[in-house]
Amino acid sequence: MKTLEEILPRIKELDSMPSVPAIVQPLTALLRQNPDRVKLEKVVELVSYDSTIAAQCLRIANSPLFGRRNTETVRSAVIALGITRIEAIVLGSCVNRIVPHDKWAMDALTFWRHCLGCALVSSRLAKLIGYADPEKAYLAGLLHDLGILVNMVICAPEFRVGIQKAHESGIPLHSSEHQHLGFTHCQSGKILAEQWHFSSDVTAVIEHHHDVINATSACPLVAIIHLSDLLCRMRDLGYGYYEAMGVDLAGDAAWALLVESYPALVKMDLARLTMDIDGAMEEITNVVNAVFKPEPAVAR
Amino acid sequence: METGIAKAAAQPQSQDLKDPAYLKIRDVVYQISGIYQPEEKLYLLASRCARRMSAVKASTPSEYLDYLTVRGNREAELRLLLNEITIGETYMFRSPAQLEALRNVVLPQILQAKSALGFKRLHLWSAGCSTGEEPYTLAMFLLEEKERLLSGWTFDILATDLNDNSVVAAKAGIYGEYALRSTPDVLRRKYFKAHDANHLQVGEELKSLIRFDRVNLNDDSKMTFLKGMDLIFCCNVLIYFDLSSKRKVMQHFYANLLPGGYLFLGHAESLYQVDDRFHLMHFPGAFGYWKPPLGYIGGGKK
Ligand SMILES: C[S@@+](CC[C@H](N)C(=O)[O-])C[C@H]1O[C@@H](n2cnc3c(N)ncnc32)[C@H](O)[C@@H]1O
Ligand SMILES: [Fe+2]
Ligand SMILES: [Fe+2]
Repeated sequence: MKTLEEILPRIKELDSMPSVPAIVQPLTALLRQNPDRVKLEKVVELVSYDSTIAAQCLRIANSPLFGRRNTETVRSAVIALGITRIEAIVLGSCVNRIVPHDKWAMDALTFWRHCLGCALVSSRLAKLIGYADPEKAYLAGLLHDLGILVNMVICAPEFRVGIQKAHESGIPLHSSEHQHLGFTHCQSGKILAEQWHFSSDVTAVIEHHHDVINATSACPLVAIIHLSDLLCRMRDLGYGYYEAMGVDLAGDAAWALLVESYPALVKMDLARLTMDIDGAMEEITNVVNAVFKPEPAVAR
Repeated sequence: METGIAKAAAQPQSQDLKDPAYLKIRDVVYQISGIYQPEEKLYLLASRCARRMSAVKASTPSEYLDYLTVRGNREAELRLLLNEITIGETYMFRSPAQLEALRNVVLPQILQAKSALGFKRLHLWSAGCSTGEEPYTLAMFLLEEKERLLSGWTFDILATDLNDNSVVAAKAGIYGEYALRSTPDVLRRKYFKAHDANHLQVGEELKSLIRFDRVNLNDDSKMTFLKGMDLIFCCNVLIYFDLSSKRKVMQHFYANLLPGGYLFLGHAESLYQVDDRFHLMHFPGAFGYWKPPLGYIGGGKK
């Protein structure tokens, strides 16, 4: 068991790790701006700066999923994918690199399928209820479990136990972390998010997506991600183990909170939304494979 | 109900389809069973009628309509027609995620609540059981849990369908590879006996748990008396019902379930706007509809 004070310096060290791409910070700064004001050239410049990530963008853009075959420049890749989406995905793959290969305590593709699934469901849900910034929901969904990566790196042995026990008992991962690490990915994720100057709403999501009632800012966003996270975990986009629980989404506190500002929620066909997730499964797997599947170095 | 259509007798002529008598037959079927064939699906109905028409030697749809509405044995004929219409696709262990949810979440919850009240008996209902695959699956599932979750408990399954032929086949319990394709070998050996080269027959242990009956879900007088259920399975049955007949069935199901009980539908079915008293519960890979116990205060549900 550890205290947060103990892990704090180790999270600080994450910054100086050689594996953390230098573009993380400028990219998050960019993401904090109003999407209309983000300049295409700026994104292209940042992406080109890191050859691995540039190659990744080309891979995504050239995947049949986007219907593009011959995207050769980073610029056309960014255009093909759309600025906001590519930023989010690029950021995801940057963040991915804080975890060295031998530290992955769960299957990396499973983890990113969960995150990307959550991103897609969050933006979908945001659109359905009329939340003003679905792309923000996408980004927050993608990054909500940042703390899991932190935990894998800074307290690998304890986290392995936590995950193992969760597998065995079917309890939620954050409960198991609480028992076996002494803190959860929400707390450790928040520290790194602040250190990396993530926007305050994304940080709120990272900190409170498992306890929405304690969120003091960006509450609707936190609630959207909370519900999407639950939905994904119930639809084979979880953490790779059977979570023995029944979820009454409409009886959830996050639901009540959202309904106040977004009455359209009440009219939503939740079962249909869930079935849509099943329909999006292939797309999710494809994107995750394109972005996160380790592949022999791509020619520059 | 999707299968077997192609097999069903001669295709009616396309001009025949425009015969307004088909609309009337459709309405009769709907009145009785709740099954509604929209105009564009009328050809399905027509192909199902074709067989009965040749059996009674009716040469036109309107002549056949008479058999269903004014002739002396019209009720019997209607039943025979319904037997043609309601041929259901089904197999054992069709919804593994549903069974996992039962094992890991639903049953533990129900057992705990019931034993707190001193009850040790469970009642399950497979409503629209077709040829019996679903109730036998449930019976195997329960027996497999007998030493574990269900130790000290007794249980029974009511299995009903509208189709007489299906109920007869269900009682016989003889299955080929198609029905058994997802049934693990251990269970085949444990609960079945050889029938012929290509078929197995369910053994007494399974049969003794199930009571088969013909019940029309659209028949209020029968539905009212099927109370006291812990779990109702009505999978892939209501897909051909229209909204108002679905609503009616749901009202019955709600009343038939004990507080704290669950209704399970097919994996692609939604109760959206059908009945909002049920709570939609998500389990890994499956849904259930929950009738909350008295006094349950759900968070956000308005
Ligand atoms: C596709 S089968 C479903 C079998 C099984 N429940 C499953 O999911 O595998 C549909 C069944 O619903 C039955 N059915 C249709 N309308 C009905 C009604 N009004 N009352 C009772 N059963 C009905 C049909 O006879 C058919 O056997
Ligand atoms: Fe989480
Ligand atoms: Fe999550």
